[in-house]
Amino acid sequence: MNRRNFLTLTGTFTGGTLLLPNFLHAFGNSNQIITGEQSVVFIQLNGGNDGLNSFIPYENPLYYDLRPNIGIAKDKVLGKNKGMGFHPALKDFATMQQNGHLSVIQNVGYPEPNRSHFRSQEIWQTASNTNEYLSEGWLGRYLDIHCHEHQPTAGINLDAIDNLSLKGKQPNSITVKDPNRFKVRKDSDEKQTLSDNPQLDFVRKIANSVTEGSDEIQKALANSKSEITYPKSGLSKNLEWMARLIKGNLNSKVYYTSLNGFDTHDNQVNSHARVLGELNDAVFSFYNDLKEANLLQNITIVVFSEFGRRVKDNGNGTDHGTAAPMFIIGGNNKGTIIGNNPNLEDLDKGDLKYEIDFRSVYSSLLENKLSFNPKNIGLNTNSLTGLF
Amino acid sequence: MKKASLWSLRLGFSNKQASEIEKLGLEKFLSKSFETQYDAILPEFLKDEPKTIEDLKATRDSIKNATKEEQTEIIKSQVKKSIDLKNWWINKMQHEELPLHEKMVCFWHNHFVATTKKVKVNYWIYQHNMVLRKNAFGNFKILTKEIIKTNAMVRYLDNVDNKKGKLNENLSRELLELFTLGIGNYSEDDIKNGAKALAGLNLGENGAVYRKFQQDNEAITYLGKRGNFKVDDLIDIIFEQPNIPFLITRKILKWFIYDNPSQELVSYYGNYFKKVNFEIQPLLTKIFIEEYPKENAGSKIKDPLTYILQLMHELHIEQENKTLITFFLSQQGMDLMNQPNVKGWDGGNAWLSSQIYLQRNNLADLWCNGRNFTRKAFNQMGNEDSIMKDNNPKIEIEKVPIQLDWSKNGTNKTVISELSNRLLFQVSDEMQKEMETILKYDFDLESEGAENAVLRLFNYIVKTPEYQLI
Repeated sequence: MNRRNFLTLTGTFTGGTLLLPNFLHAFGNSNQIITGEQSVVFIQLNGGNDGLNSFIPYENPLYYDLRPNIGIAKDKVLGKNKGMGFHPALKDFATMQQNGHLSVIQNVGYPEPNRSHFRSQEIWQTASNTNEYLSEGWLGRYLDIHCHEHQPTAGINLDAIDNLSLKGKQPNSITVKDPNRFKVRKDSDEKQTLSDNPQLDFVRKIANSVTEGSDEIQKALANSKSEITYPKSGLSKNLEWMARLIKGNLNSKVYYTSLNGFDTHDNQVNSHARVLGELNDAVFSFYNDLKEANLLQNITIVVFSEFGRRVKDNGNGTDHGTAAPMFIIGGNNKGTIIGNNPNLEDLDKGDLKYEIDFRSVYSSLLENKLSFNPKNIGLNTNSLTGLF
Repeated sequence: MKKASLWSLRLGFSNKQASEIEKLGLEKFLSKSFETQYDAILPEFLKDEPKTIEDLKATRDSIKNATKEEQTEIIKSQVKKSIDLKNWWINKMQHEELPLHEKMVCFWHNHFVATTKKVKVNYWIYQHNMVLRKNAFGNFKILTKEIIKTNAMVRYLDNVDNKKGKLNENLSRELLELFTLGIGNYSEDDIKNGAKALAGLNLGENGAVYRKFQQDNEAITYLGKRGNFKVDDLIDIIFEQPNIPFLITRKILKWFIYDNPSQELVSYYGNYFKKVNFEIQPLLTKIFIEEYPKENAGSKIKDPLTYILQLMHELHIEQENKTLITFFLSQQGMDLMNQPNVKGWDGGNAWLSSQIYLQRNNLADLWCNGRNFTRKAFNQMGNEDSIMKDNNPKIEIEKVPIQLDWSKNGTNKTVISELSNRLLFQVSDEMQKEMETILKYDFDLESEGAENAVLRLFNYIVKTPEYQLI
């Protein structure tokens, strides 16, 4: 029996079947029935997050042998489960897992890994093979097919720069640095015909989405307010905005944001703890916000990075590596740990060998959360099972 | 758009050099530009900044022993100096008679990235910039050797932590991936071995030097060669590789002319670059002379720097306070000396998102209406909530004198064509119609409101998608 079934059962017994409201309340920790739109929120950790120091194999002595300077002591590790546990800065990730709302997918990567930030991000964002160069992102391709008509707010990217993942043939997504700065404009909303200059067409479409998108966003913002207090950080701010857009029924399918600072070549102990802390606090506030609004079951949060880091430390940091864990929160996921614990013996040039292809996770998200056949955008990897 | 206006923008930041290009012809204009002398005088605001390792130690100690308030003051003053440095540069870009040199320095500073945020020592960022100034039109190989050995670079790419037995691959990787050959032209082993050769190259008084006890003197294999190599040897070997000219040639074409240069052009100019032994001046001459006659207007999205300097030049806005320009640039994703990562600004389509476009339009609206933008006004634009919260119903906006050049002899159509010839790379029928709606056929050029009407036309033009392209 897994933890959630146990809680559900005890809940049923102790809550008593006589009082209907209590009985229903007993399902508080179980999955909610999904009604209404589902969306997926992506949080990209830029720079290559050190997976081994995020979700830690504290029972493997090799871990401490290979990381004498930066290893996280066993007694500091939180939420211990089957030999794995969280970095102390990720304390609320442990809580969310206890609550049955967080799954960890271990050793996620892809064949012939590339250790360059830019290329590996490109691979993750286009879902291409290592030797394949695609100019459109995987979510952009999905939105191109999903949106029967051009729909500027189908994807929302809260970031300073546009995101390749969301780039498709049509501008079905919008990049917003700070939604409150949006000003509703009425000019230049006539239909555009295509010219023979692709750069000009690109600028024209952006010029249009400035108008189109801002109306929808303003409406959603007017329909919602901030109910809980988020910590003061860039990521928190972005997630707070997302929560407002979601609660205001913007009905975007995909939200995207990113967090910098994971390229921990040196001074890892402090800088990694700091940036994980920022991630933890922001995500946990967002999670609570959605839970309170009874929307957690509709929103799947995906936390990932372009690669993990070298198993052996370089003194006080780590160099670029390969496979790493992905975290899935909400969206009625099964709240388990998927995949084997990292194998620290059988390495490829000092790096972990991947066991789960990131594209199988994408496929699972598309199939289960967005009711979309991944093959339609060229994702032929079988969907990861056991996640939802 | 007139060719001379287009190329004034491409080789500089505004329409300012158009008449000179027309008068001299492009070839003479270029040779005059290549003779630009760079200013090597240490700016006043850096005179008291820590420079030697000893100075820096002293500063660090004084911070340690200072009170909290004093510490904040010291840090504030360093931040201010870093802004002064950006402003110093913007001033040069704005006022240099022949700004091609500045444009090229800016190109190199986005190629050999080292940011204030990470390097933290303003004087080192200045030194880094001076190396670029000295070599902007010089030799790519020599520039690579000199720039790698700046304190800014060894700190920015963590080579200060790269020591024998405790290697850090960052500098070694970017030297190959981003600075010279590009992905696909080296192996992971080359990076590891390169890191050995670079081990111990650490901060020095006048640039980076090897530290005896941090060096790794083991023989290595690098790009197929075996030996005891140090930094200059690595760069010599890199420059023997067949693919060395192409990454940089592509970037130069992207910086000046095409967001998406064709493979053919890259190979063509790249091969020439190799033939002239990586001398930058002949490469630039060849590219500009051969691309000038082609019909290639509108193939590049304007970067924020060109956008704002062009607007200022058109409206004759002097803007004594360069910090506002610096602030605008950072809002637009082009913070000087502070690129988001070692790859530098991507350019091309990455220059525009809906929000960035909106900011550009907001700035244009303010200036075309003779109002200056302040940081506060800029932050509050379109943000009615925060205005209410601050109990500040009116945004404080100062006036700014503006003046647009246009010729009073003629009709509405002559004004429209004058402006579009220097501002728009193409004019569609639809736009022409819209412009003739703003300046109608019975528009009186001598009337009192003429000035304002032409400004309205100008305001319309600078918000069109066509204006975003050169």
